[in-house]
Amino acid sequence: MSTSTIIRFENVTKQYDNDAAVLDNVSFEMERGKFYTLLGPSGCGKTTILRLISGLVEASHGKIYINDKLVNDVPANKRQVNTVFQDYALFPHLNVFENVAFGLRVKKLKNADIQKKVQEALRFVNLEAYENREISEMSGGQRQRVAIARAIVNEPEVLLLDEPLSALDLKLRTEMQYELRELQRRLGITFVFVTHDQEEALAMSDEIFVINKGKIQQRGVPTDIYDEPINRFVADFIGESNIIQGKMLRDFVVQFDGKEFECVDQGFNPNESVEVVIRPEDLEITTKEKGHLKVKVDSQLFRGVHYEICGYDENGNEWIVHSTKKAVVGEEIGLYFEPEAIHVMRLGETEEEFDARLEAYDDQGVENGN
Amino acid sequence: MKKKFKLSNLYLVVIFIILYVPIFYLMFYSFNSGGKMYDFEGFTLDWYKELFQDSRLLIIVLNTIIIALLSAGISTVLGISGAIAIWYVRKVYAKNFLLSLNNVLIVSPDVIIGASFLILFTFVGIKLGFTSVLLSHIAFNVPIVVLMVLPKLQEMGASLIDAARDLGASRWDVLSKVVLPYITPGIFAGFFMALTYSLDDFAVTFFVTGNGFTTLSVEIYSLARRGISLNINALSTLLFVFTLLLVVGYYFITKRNARPIGLGARK
Ligand SMILES: Nc1ncnc2c1ncn2[C@@H]1O[C@H](COP(=O)(O)OP(=O)(O)OP(=O)(O)O)[C@@H](O)[C@H]1O
Ligand SMILES: [Mg+2]
Repeated sequence: MSTSTIIRFENVTKQYDNDAAVLDNVSFEMERGKFYTLLGPSGCGKTTILRLISGLVEASHGKIYINDKLVNDVPANKRQVNTVFQDYALFPHLNVFENVAFGLRVKKLKNADIQKKVQEALRFVNLEAYENREISEMSGGQRQRVAIARAIVNEPEVLLLDEPLSALDLKLRTEMQYELRELQRRLGITFVFVTHDQEEALAMSDEIFVINKGKIQQRGVPTDIYDEPINRFVADFIGESNIIQGKMLRDFVVQFDGKEFECVDQGFNPNESVEVVIRPEDLEITTKEKGHLKVKVDSQLFRGVHYEICGYDENGNEWIVHSTKKAVVGEEIGLYFEPEAIHVMRLGETEEEFDARLEAYDDQGVENGN
Repeated sequence: MKKKFKLSNLYLVVIFIILYVPIFYLMFYSFNSGGKMYDFEGFTLDWYKELFQDSRLLIIVLNTIIIALLSAGISTVLGISGAIAIWYVRKVYAKNFLLSLNNVLIVSPDVIIGASFLILFTFVGIKLGFTSVLLSHIAFNVPIVVLMVLPKLQEMGASLIDAARDLGASRWDVLSKVVLPYITPGIFAGFFMALTYSLDDFAVTFFVTGNGFTTLSVEIYSLARRGISLNINALSTLLFVFTLLLVVGYYFITKRNARPIGLGARK
């Protein structure tokens, strides 16, 4: 599989009318054949990025390249890109077969070819028996598959998926996550998948772009995004986290909650103010004596896989713990964590600076608990 | 509370009786062999026979139907274009303004429309007759079609068009393969409404017709003025039944519209 760039945004800005920018000077590259996820809260500009790629809206500034070709002036119907829309946008006046055949019909393919390709596409999404159904007779999950078939039958180089799973129930949704990922492997084309569900993003993607307020906050493989969030927004948005103010005393030593802790982060100025992230599942419940922190349990929720325990330490900081063990509300417990569980974030660090700092310690050949 | 409810029902019944009794009275005596609108002497279809032997009248019927079909057809085409144009307007106030202009034409009295057309036609120098009647019928039908088609367009939502563009459809493809099929029920409803309006229009036609060209409603009026013949009753009965059929047809079309999308307009 070639790894050359397929989509490139250069300083793209999008404003509607004269409002504030919906996308603010965004630049990125996407490689051929990978599964990308755009993740962010509602209204952050995810759909806008997809519509810029598909050509349904025009950029206000900046350049968009597909396959190294500038496409700013190429209309949507001339781009080798297809979309699975947020509401599927299936044609209610056409049946399943004709919906899938739509793109081929407007390209004036021969009937026999259309027949063959449509059947193949429907087989791909396990709907071969449904050709003659009306759209209104299909379930939500089936409609979504029709929408996927309608897009992939055109053999696009890029498939854009705008929250295609958000309308499905949890079980079907998990099933479809597997199916989509599998589909992407079989087709070998680039998927750009939009979601505001962080678990979905972590489970499915080769690479995640975390977006907030029209800016890309951080991009990277799921484990990096999860383990090394660049700022408070990313840490908070990707999974639950405990974030508290701290001070980086020197390399490998951070101070928070009035105590010093060993950690694996470095490259900070001495005594720099920082934010410290510890994931709830990295906190272990022990006795008061053995724990690094003493916490009074305030509330406890049963979440199925684990208990979510919420408590406060003596300085009033809130701590959330995920544990398979039960705690007793009102009791004091100790919390223990490994140095690797601590992630230190510099305040206001940009993505470039963050990457440069990480690289700097790799160059020094230092082991840094990734 | 209950009494009040009954009273309102009674009111409705009385109103309907007042509205429909003259029509049924008229229809009833169209079968009277006595030749008068009182003293029912015996059942006969003679008046209908006479009607069908009157070739002048048949030509008038034909005129009426031609005018109705042509004006409904042409105004459907114009109305669709108009509705799409209004739908494309993005500014809300401009859209509402256009829509209000459209609605004013529907509610303004026929007499005023007829009189103003008469003035226009004489001013421009169009001879009164077939053309003037056709033009004015088109004019009052277009707003009706717009009103019937526009809700369908608004219901469609922009994402279908985005999807079509995304799949490679040109502007023409979008119109012919997505928009028009989607709004077909609205188009039919508009066409039928236009047909009924045109068929039973009297006031506007009365103003703008001339040179021996008449339509049924105008003819009935002049027959009625000349003196009573049960011909008129027979003719009115037929017209009433025909309009009723159109209304029933229209009802079924709108009922089909109300069904969940997708079932209604099968390919
Ligand atoms: N046609 C438009 N005109 C004006 N503003 C728009 C238009 N389309 C989108 N916006 C604005 O752009 C911003 C980003 O919208 P976008 O649809 O990209 O959000 P999103 O990230 O996809 O959100 P969601 O998760 O809710 O779908 C929003 O604030 C929205 O109000
Ligand atoms: Mg969106």
